[in-house]
Amino acid sequence: MAKHIKTITRSRLLKREHTGCGECQTSCQSACKTSCTVGNQTCLNTKTK
Amino acid sequence: MIHCFTLGGVKLVYDVHSHSLHEVDDLAWALLYWELYQEPERAMSVLLTEGYTGEEIGEALEEIARLRADRLLCTADPFSGYEPPAFVVKALCLNVAHNCNLSCRYCFAGAGSLGQTAVLMPSSTARQAVDFLLSHSGTRQNVEIDFFGGEPLLNMPVVEATVAYARERGRAEGKEIGFTITTNAVLLDEHISRFLLENGINVVLSIDGRPEVHDRLRQTHGGKGSHAQVLSHIMQYLQRHREWSGPKGYCYVRGTFTRYNLDFAQDFRYLAGLGIDEISLEPVVARPTDDYSLRGEDLSAVAAEYERLAEAYLEMNAGGRDIRFFHFEIDLDGGPCLPKLLSGCGAGHSYLAVTAQGDLYPCHQFIGREAYRLGNVSGGSLPTELIEQFRTAHIYAKPKCRQCWAKFLCSGGCQAHCHLENNNILEPPELACQMMRQRLECALYVRSRKEQLL
Ligand code: SF4
Repeated sequence: MAKHIKTITRSRLLKREHTGCGECQTSCQSACKTSCTVGNQTCLNTKTK
Repeated sequence: MIHCFTLGGVKLVYDVHSHSLHEVDDLAWALLYWELYQEPERAMSVLLTEGYTGEEIGEALEEIARLRADRLLCTADPFSGYEPPAFVVKALCLNVAHNCNLSCRYCFAGAGSLGQTAVLMPSSTARQAVDFLLSHSGTRQNVEIDFFGGEPLLNMPVVEATVAYARERGRAEGKEIGFTITTNAVLLDEHISRFLLENGINVVLSIDGRPEVHDRLRQTHGGKGSHAQVLSHIMQYLQRHREWSGPKGYCYVRGTFTRYNLDFAQDFRYLAGLGIDEISLEPVVARPTDDYSLRGEDLSAVAAEYERLAEAYLEMNAGGRDIRFFHFEIDLDGGPCLPKLLSGCGAGHSYLAVTAQGDLYPCHQFIGREAYRLGNVSGGSLPTELIEQFRTAHIYAKPKCRQCWAKFLCSGGCQAHCHLENNNILEPPELACQMMRQRLECALYVRSRKEQLL
């Protein structure tokens, strides 16, 4: 058990493919229309699987 | 690359290239922030004088070493040789109405006219846009159409006809078409609401928050405030949305903040207090000469306000409310795939905007910037060189982004904004970057605190 560092998220980023399926929603379409935050988009593949 | 920051008394370390987030104690912070972990002997001598024991320092160094070996800390950039996907159109923003029934001062569409003559998109042009989307969408199964303006509800017959036509064409081509509409809610009556709900259309409703904040900049052509009317329509729609039992699209309420409401966390509280659960507040896009524009001197106020907003958000969620603030909903565990993280919104290569006359632009904000006209949905060739510029405008092509800790969360900023401020789509404006980083620190902090709530 780590005493000094608590890991909150272990991302799968390094495992992600160089080419995604490209099916998820376009970010500027979602809610902002002025600034792109894409970190909050979810993968349509994992959502529908 | 790591980014160490403190917020709300919590010490956080974000590992940029693996997207991992860690909460650390003072000792681990000292080792990471001052990069002492790289020189264990020096770390010992420095930190022994700070009152830590040799055993503690050894333990913390070991934890850091383990996380590094697991590629969760200080990870090297694995994607630098990135080649973005080919040009395929996935989403179109249709400016079905270039005019508007409000004249919001900060509107980049210039009071709904987008610098052009007020005009509604004819149904035939909208149909051509649908055909254009389907024929340029390659193997994409899910494509998107966004009704925008101006005010799209001013051209409701064309919106309705386009949804029906797109559904039919989508079925024939075996594609799923998702719809979104962004509206000021002035005309959002029962009939339109029913249509939007029945068709599962995502709805983005614009209101800036408190009455005095909203009415200052979102006025009618006659100079009257629009808050009362807009709010009543939004509340009615949300009620219908809640009661709708069938499949339905999402509904976000979005506002803009300017230097006139640097206390925008109050607007978040105001909207949340009305029972609205999905909220987005965006910094205004403006020229430095506009009186309401955000400036360098406002940055510390904006940062402090995002922190207040984060605390309000956490307080509400801790109280059992499932409330969302668009920019805090970062999905570090899942999240989008690589092309998206590296290229952002896809403007100019997977996302395009169409004017009422059928002209194509890289996105809705580029409309009217003549050098960026990409052709017309009625036919003809597309300028491959210009599209290529946008396709390759990912974070590794932007020198500033390559070095930035926020790159995989921000994805390189808004191209239209880069062009507006720096006349170069590869050069993000510093002020926007600083606000983005402030907001992302809050989002990471929120993520770390939500962990405690789970
Ligand atoms: S904050 Fe600015 S520099 Fe950093 S990734 Fe975003 S646009 Fe690039």
